[in-house]
Amino acid sequence: MALADENRTRRVLGAIAGGVAGMAAMSIAFALLEVETRYEVGIFAGIARFVMVPGNLALGFLVFVLFGAIVWPLLFVFVEEHIPGGPDPGRRGLAFATVLWVLFMLTAAGNVTGATLLIYATLTLVGHLAYGFILGAVYGHVRPDFSLAEVRERRNPR
Amino acid sequence: MWLYLLGLLGAAFVLIAAGLALRGGGGSRIAADGGLLADRGSSYGKAFGLSRWLTTVDHKDIGLLYIALGVVAGLWGGVDAMMIRTELATPPTDVWDTRTYNELFTTHGITMLFLFVTPVFTGIANYFIPLLVDADDMAFPRINAIAFWLLPPSLVFIRAGLVTEVLAKVLEAFGVVVEALFALEPPGIGWTLYTPMSIEALNPQIDVFLLGLHLSGIATTIGAINIIVTIFTERGEEVGWENLDILSWALLTMSGLILFSFPVLGSVLVMLLMDRNFGTTFFLAEGGGALLYQHLFWFFGHPEVYVIVLPAFGLISFMLPRLVGRRLFGFKFLVYSTLAIGVLSFGVWAHHMFATGMDPRIRGSFMAVSIAIAVPSAVKVFNWIATLWYSRIRLSAPAIFLLGGIAVFIVGGVTGVFLASVPVDMVFHGTYYVVGHFHLILMGIIPFTMFAASYYWYPLLTGRMYDPRLARIQAVLTVVGGFVAFVPMLVVGADGLPRRYAQYPPEYALLNQVSTLGAYLIGAGVVLWVYNVFQSLRVGPEVEDADVWNLKETGQFSREWQWFERRLEQRRGEPSDDD
Repeated sequence: MALADENRTRRVLGAIAGGVAGMAAMSIAFALLEVETRYEVGIFAGIARFVMVPGNLALGFLVFVLFGAIVWPLLFVFVEEHIPGGPDPGRRGLAFATVLWVLFMLTAAGNVTGATLLIYATLTLVGHLAYGFILGAVYGHVRPDFSLAEVRERRNPR
Repeated sequence: MWLYLLGLLGAAFVLIAAGLALRGGGGSRIAADGGLLADRGSSYGKAFGLSRWLTTVDHKDIGLLYIALGVVAGLWGGVDAMMIRTELATPPTDVWDTRTYNELFTTHGITMLFLFVTPVFTGIANYFIPLLVDADDMAFPRINAIAFWLLPPSLVFIRAGLVTEVLAKVLEAFGVVVEALFALEPPGIGWTLYTPMSIEALNPQIDVFLLGLHLSGIATTIGAINIIVTIFTERGEEVGWENLDILSWALLTMSGLILFSFPVLGSVLVMLLMDRNFGTTFFLAEGGGALLYQHLFWFFGHPEVYVIVLPAFGLISFMLPRLVGRRLFGFKFLVYSTLAIGVLSFGVWAHHMFATGMDPRIRGSFMAVSIAIAVPSAVKVFNWIATLWYSRIRLSAPAIFLLGGIAVFIVGGVTGVFLASVPVDMVFHGTYYVVGHFHLILMGIIPFTMFAASYYWYPLLTGRMYDPRLARIQAVLTVVGGFVAFVPMLVVGADGLPRRYAQYPPEYALLNQVSTLGAYLIGAGVVLWVYNVFQSLRVGPEVEDADVWNLKETGQFSREWQWFERRLEQRRGEPSDDD
């Protein structure tokens, strides 16, 4: 993205709105999953490791939310053109979030092993994909220089 | 506990106040008129945004609300299932402890039966029955809304153990510790709630759970009455009993079954609550006994099986001929077989109790009826196969789901005929064979037809087309996943592996891992479906021609599509407000 772009403000705000919405969805999903899986999955401990403050769950979660709501969306705006899956930012968001998930798994999984790792990886991947999709979709919705019609023409009925 | 109840009451008041405020703000006051719409036939102004969905009495909106609630519950129950299969991926109890495992299979069963399948089918009934029988709306639009709005609280009650714990954890993070919120734990007594365990278990959540279940039963019964009255009294001039469509027949029969079986569930739940809290002795050994409980429960429980599969049978019979371009073979016999299943389903309940030591003569009669009920189900399968004969099979996603579903159902159904026989059941009762049998039926028939229906009617529901390639991938993945997940259960069950245990001997590890792989395949399919639904809502091409499935060619362009065509024409008359 060229920084002199006249739509810069709306693009940045759109991405942050997407990040907030995505984080809201992912946080609720993670909180439910954490309880549903009876703390075996340890998502919040993993999140704390992910943001480099192992052991401090509250601070870890706060940093995680800030990253998800602001830092990753801004990064997304900057690298969007280079992400595969376009022109639909929703699909690009999926690819973007998959990369984030790989980073998450490398840092957050910690000593989770065996069958627990299976469900841990699956559920966090689904959470990240939801985050990426919502981020991209909201961003595309707010962005003034993007039209869904362009994407629609690429798909044929039936 | 009191603080918790007080909190619930407060939340209810806030919701009511918000609703009243929204109603006042919308400026659309409707006078009390005994549940009839004030001016039928004319279009009435709908509110916008959130208040539209909170105040709607339109059958289509309520249908969508039902389906949305059902999908949420289905995803939740699906996570339960994934957790069960994760635990069973290895022989020892190493992911979750046995107590959590017990809670998982209890909540999985209850959520899927009462909060996923029934609401989704009621939603489909709400959306399509008025369109199919040419009615303006359901017979009682406002009772319809009440029936739906009883369900969200019952979902919260049934799953309260987890919901309160999330709330407690959030409050704890802010430094407020509410002990009462931690007291409710998910019940781990099996979905059948057998006495005396369900009476003796101390967990207070079981009482909340029973109340939630009772509430969902009331909601279901109200919905069923509405469906029956609509089909009997609201049919248009051109719709007589002789040309009523097959789906409406199935939903009518389902509603009849609900009407006769759910009150029994309601009674048994109240008796159980009284036994737990007020010292009554309905189900104690000296009173009625645990057997009384089982009789009452299964008198409801077996018709319930048909409550959830009859609409699915109806959907297959409805969609299959339209998707393969040939008229339904033996329409009349499909209706008769539906009605026959409806009647016979009340005479088979004791086959769940063959192992309880009942009088052999009673067992014999129930065995005969249980085998007999396979006949109308087989009639349906033969009719579907005959419909496919010389048809033009196009492998669209819904068609793959229906064909795969029929195949899975045949395996599940035939294994059920064996189970109906008392000596076989004595051996297999309580093994994975039973789990494999009913999951093959339930999976093949219910979610597969729901997925098929979601694709078949997606253009009608949203005005857009779904992504067909992704849908076909999802269909194949899910059908394969269904076989891979549940056929190994037949094998380990026939070998004698008992169900409902978190651990098992290591020699069963491989087959259990295959099962787990299947469950994850199904899960992947569900993720693809969710993505397809939301992504196509955004970018799916708009439907221009209402005849999406070439139904006019074979004269099967039924009333719901005709309605859709009229709506498209109306839209075209107005400037497009899209983009």
